[in-house]
Amino acid sequence: MAEQAVKEYLHDLEAELRDLPRSRRQELLGEIHEHIDSALADAPAHDEAEVRNVLDRLGDPSDIAEEARQRFGVPKTKSGAMEIAALILLLIGGIILPVIGWFIGVILLWSSRVWTTGEKLAGTLLFPGGLLAPVWLTIGVSFTSTACSPPIRQGQVTVQGCYETGPTVFMRIAQYVLFAALVIVPIAVAILLARRMRAGTAPV
Amino acid sequence: MLRMVHGRPAQEGRDGGLIAQLRRGALEYCVLALLERRERYGFDLVRELAEVDGMVTSEGTIYPMLARLRRDGVVETTWRESPAGPPRRYYKLTPSGRRALKEFRQAWVRFRDGVDRVVSTP
Repeated sequence: MAEQAVKEYLHDLEAELRDLPRSRRQELLGEIHEHIDSALADAPAHDEAEVRNVLDRLGDPSDIAEEARQRFGVPKTKSGAMEIAALILLLIGGIILPVIGWFIGVILLWSSRVWTTGEKLAGTLLFPGGLLAPVWLTIGVSFTSTACSPPIRQGQVTVQGCYETGPTVFMRIAQYVLFAALVIVPIAVAILLARRMRAGTAPV
Repeated sequence: MLRMVHGRPAQEGRDGGLIAQLRRGALEYCVLALLERRERYGFDLVRELAEVDGMVTSEGTIYPMLARLRRDGVVETTWRESPAGPPRRYYKLTPSGRRALKEFRQAWVRFRDGVDRVVSTP
């Protein structure tokens, strides 16, 4: 579809112009849109080949964006540094700097323009604290505990019965599954977000 | 593209960079010159410049330049009804643009003649 190609082109251009102030971006998008309309008004057939030709002559959206950044002295965002920091902090920030590190990761995640809102929600909710919970479980909580009956005095001797309360087999399995999920899900989400990051900007 | 960048591909080398810079600098004044006689809308300007050999490699890059010229106050735009289709933005020269063009014209002719005198092969 010819109209689809124009839409995609403008969409790519908008993404490439993300470093420019909003008003400047809208201005350039408006002008280029107008250019395409004018060019197509001149073209008799209105077919795909003509649209291709018009878009080819306009050039690569990244070249237009590069020109715009140079003309207006806007530096190109160092792509990735903030996003990588966000992913690392989401995973282990909570361990390095308890809780706060993870929160900084969340702030970076939501400040980035690379991810969609859905991806950001996934990054935030799966799971809060990142790998803090499984690490804490490993160090601090034993799966078994010891219970003792109250001491009973019998003459000179005090007797106290103690016994280990182990979880049932079912509970033990459930605990391992839960533990595995707490480790795997945050890592899987981080990998997905990292892939998305390389794919480029999020669709608006 | 504007600045000389080290480590560019060989075919763009030193001379390619210089020509690109000259073209880039001159292009702004070509726009002003085209607007001297009458006002034009973007597409009209861009296609006129594209006719000049080697002047424009990608038409879309003209628009950031036009936006910059407008911010610098050498051109201004007005919305005008077009014979067919939606209204268009027409570019016209401001008094300051007219002055800038006049100065460039004098400087350019001197510069061009000077370089020609030295560089031209007999």
